[in-house]
Amino acid sequence: MATAPDLVLDPSLRDWVLFPILLVMILVGILRHYITLLLQSSPKQLDLLAIREQQSLARGVSLRSNGKLIPPSSFQSRKTYLIQAFKNGIFLKDQEAFKNKDEPKAPANPLAEPGGMDQMLNMLKGNMVMIVPQTLLMSWINFFFSGFILMKLPFPLTVRFKSILQSGVATRDLDVRWVSSMSWYFLNLFGLRSVYDVILGSNNSAGGGMDMAGMNPGMGGLQPGQDIYKLYLSEAENIELTTHEYLLEDIEDRILEKYE
Amino acid sequence: MDEKERKQAIYPVSTESLQQNGKTVYYIRSVTSTIFGVSAGILGLESYYGFLFYFAGTAFVSLLLFLLLARGQPTEYFTSANDIWIGNALTGLSSFVLTWTLFYGLVDA
Repeated sequence: MATAPDLVLDPSLRDWVLFPILLVMILVGILRHYITLLLQSSPKQLDLLAIREQQSLARGVSLRSNGKLIPPSSFQSRKTYLIQAFKNGIFLKDQEAFKNKDEPKAPANPLAEPGGMDQMLNMLKGNMVMIVPQTLLMSWINFFFSGFILMKLPFPLTVRFKSILQSGVATRDLDVRWVSSMSWYFLNLFGLRSVYDVILGSNNSAGGGMDMAGMNPGMGGLQPGQDIYKLYLSEAENIELTTHEYLLEDIEDRILEKYE
Repeated sequence: MDEKERKQAIYPVSTESLQQNGKTVYYIRSVTSTIFGVSAGILGLESYYGFLFYFAGTAFVSLLLFLLLARGQPTEYFTSANDIWIGNALTGLSSFVLTWTLFYGLVDA
C-alpha cells in the first residue's frame, strides 16, 4: 500500500458538496414529515345515522371474532338480532331509498360522495409531498454538482453501473468506485431512513414510499361508493355460518386444575 | 377449533405489545447499523470485508437482543424466535452503506 493514491480529491469538494447534500437531504426529509402532518385533514364529522350505518358492520365482525367469550344463549340472541337487522336493512342511513329500491340504481360515482373526494385528495396530497421534493432535489444536484467525481465507494461495482454513477464524467477507464454526486444523492435517499427514525421517531413520514400504506387513516375499510346493503347481506351470511364455541365452558375444572 | 387455536384464545396475545416489541427491535437495528457503518468506514474496510463486518455485527446485536432484551426467551415477546435472529436483519443495510461510504470517504480523503 505504499503506492500513491491514484486520484486525490480536493477537500473543498467534501465541504461544499458532500456535507451540503447530506444536510439538505436530512432537512428536506424532516420538512416532508411535518408537511405531511399538516396536510393530513382530520376525518370529517359524520351524522349519527351515517356512523351507525358504518359501525353496525363492525359490530357483526366483532360478534364473529369475540363471540366465543359470551355464553351460547347470549350469542344466539345477538346472532338472531343482527341477522334480522342486516337483512331488513334497519341500520341503513337512507330508509326511503331502501324501501323503494326496486328500480335499478345507477352505480354511485365515488367522486360524488363527500367521503370519496376527501380520500382521493388525501392520496394526491401524499403523492405530491413525495414526488415534488425528489424531483427538485435531483434537478438541483444535476444542475450544480454535475461533471466531477465526488467520492470513492468502499466496494467495487460492475461496469454496468458506470453510466449511472459517473454521469457527466467523460472518462472511459476510470474505476467505477469513483462516483459523482448523483450517486451520493441516491445513497442518501435510501440510507437516511434510520436517521429519520432517530430524529423523528418511528412512524415518521419522511422516508420513501414504504410507509404509504399507513398514511391513509381509512374509514374502517369501507370504500365509498359501495353498496352497503350488499355488505350487510354478506355479513349476515357470515354470522349465520359462524359456529359458536364457548371458551369458558369448563372453566371451573381448569381453574381447579391450575391451583391444585 | 383445534387445540392450538383454543390455547391462543384462552391466553390471548396483545397485538399492541407485539408491535411495540417489533418497533424496539427495529429501532435498535437502525441505530446499530448506522454505528457499524461509521466504524467500518473508520476502519477502512473494503468490499466483502465491509459486508462481512455488517453481518457479523448484526449477528452480535441479535445475540445481545436474545440475551439481554428477551432474557433468553424470545417466544415470550415475539410470535417466533426468528423475529430476533433473522427479522429486520436487512433493514439497516442501506443506512450501513451510507455511513460506511461517508466515513470511508472522510477518512480516505
